[in-house]
Amino acid sequence: MHLIKRPDKEVQALAQALVAAKQKVGFCKICFHLSAEPVCSICNNQNRDRSTVCVVGDSRDVIALEKTREYRGLYHVLGGVISPMDGIGPEQLNIEALVRRVTKESVEEIILAISPSVEGETTTLYINGLLRPFTKVTRIAFGLPMGGDLEYADEVTLARALEGRRELD
Amino acid sequence: MYLKKLHLRSFRNYVDRQVEFTAKKTILVGNNAQGKSNLLEAVELLATLKSHRTSRDRELVLDTATASQIEAIVERTHSTNELSIIFRKQGRRTVAVNRENLRRQLDFLGVLNAVQFSSLDLDLVRGAPETRRNWLDGLLIQLEPVYSNILQQYNQVLRQRNALLKKIRAVRQDDPNGSIDSFEPQLRLWDEQLAAAGSRVTRRRARVVARLDPIARRWHQKISGETELLEVKYLPNVEWTEDEPSKVQRAFLTRIEERRIAEQYQGKTVVGTHRDELEFAINETPARHYGSQGQQRTLVLALKLAELKLIEEVIGEPPLLLLDDVLAELDPNRQKQLLEVIGDRFQTIITTTHINSFNQNWIKDSQILKVQAGTIITAFL
Repeated sequence: MHLIKRPDKEVQALAQALVAAKQKVGFCKICFHLSAEPVCSICNNQNRDRSTVCVVGDSRDVIALEKTREYRGLYHVLGGVISPMDGIGPEQLNIEALVRRVTKESVEEIILAISPSVEGETTTLYINGLLRPFTKVTRIAFGLPMGGDLEYADEVTLARALEGRRELD
Repeated sequence: MYLKKLHLRSFRNYVDRQVEFTAKKTILVGNNAQGKSNLLEAVELLATLKSHRTSRDRELVLDTATASQIEAIVERTHSTNELSIIFRKQGRRTVAVNRENLRRQLDFLGVLNAVQFSSLDLDLVRGAPETRRNWLDGLLIQLEPVYSNILQQYNQVLRQRNALLKKIRAVRQDDPNGSIDSFEPQLRLWDEQLAAAGSRVTRRRARVVARLDPIARRWHQKISGETELLEVKYLPNVEWTEDEPSKVQRAFLTRIEERRIAEQYQGKTVVGTHRDELEFAINETPARHYGSQGQQRTLVLALKLAELKLIEEVIGEPPLLLLDDVLAELDPNRQKQLLEVIGDRFQTIITTTHINSFNQNWIKDSQILKVQAGTIITAFL
């Protein structure tokens, strides 16, 4: 209903934009983030720190991390997580390309930022096993949300937060 | 704790009914299929978010409606809480405490605690190991709500690991000499995940059984007249001795290694807490192989009373007691003993088709409600 009430031109533009998005947007050939160009704007940006690669499950995770404006390195999008139930093994993910990146380029740190589900955990451990011989591998900390109250946190989250504790600087 | 009010909307056969509980004991009288058990089921759902009768939410919704709601007011020693659950024929549930929707169902558990006695309880003795595991898990969730997360995680690892083992078996069947080396690293990780999740499950199960066993033994002695000795034994599929996470995990990994070939041959996980057993032994003989119906009833009563007491001990308040059609099954002696235990401390909701078989002491001081085709009215005897 909303669309029918809008001017023809606006609807035309929207339709074209949708078709264009479908036709043009593919994956960056380096990091597999969504991109209209063969190499995405993040990989192309010479100001970014090329020695750090943050590994995520999905392009949406890249967008979420970019919003923080805290991270200046590059990304690598796996395109999912290991899930035998859905027929997804390491071969179905962009893991081989990641290993190539790490062995060929001078990557000093791999940051694993995969959601802490059972499947995400397995994927994290899998990649850690593969890359550990070549470079430093870290994972993001999981724990309490900012502004959250310790007493209201559940036991699983608290245990995780304790596990990932660090010295104050 | 005290369940003061219950409001059912489009729930099962109730269109819109409110019940106010005015006495410590409430007896619901009515013929079969009038809605007595539906009312107890509503209380069970408030306590555990699970029903022992169905796992499908759509069955909880009146035929002509798309959603149903249970609302309740629960008084505890230091607080009064309003609970609400909405079930939908399609889509997820909404749970709320004091009119605030909760993102995690975990936060809902523990506001109301209840123990249910039903005629299905005899399955605890006679039924498959799964029945006993489910009972133990249900108790654990009431005592330690976070256990529901732990169990969920274990089951997810199990499903994933089974899918991988099934795939490995399929590859083997296609080509008996084919290599499965490429699966090896992934399988190892699922082994570790199973060990990590399994060790959390088994340690908590062992802990709760250790607390339950002496209480059940005392009750059993009391009911059976001190002649029989009950023992509740936890028999984990993966045995371990030292209650230390890393050592329990090691025990899992060792056992997985021993059963590696069997697992790949069967295409499923044969090691883990999904194969745990809970054994009830009377005078050192497993109760499954032993005992008349009467003895088995005594055993079940002792277990249920132990459950009740343990929840009271941990929560610090007496939980609700739901007696679904079981009182008539107990002989006068056991009825009397149960009544003595309940005394005035536990709020009790009882369903029955025939109130005549009840000991007069049950009826005295009780609120009696008549349930007929989804209506509830106060009855005067």
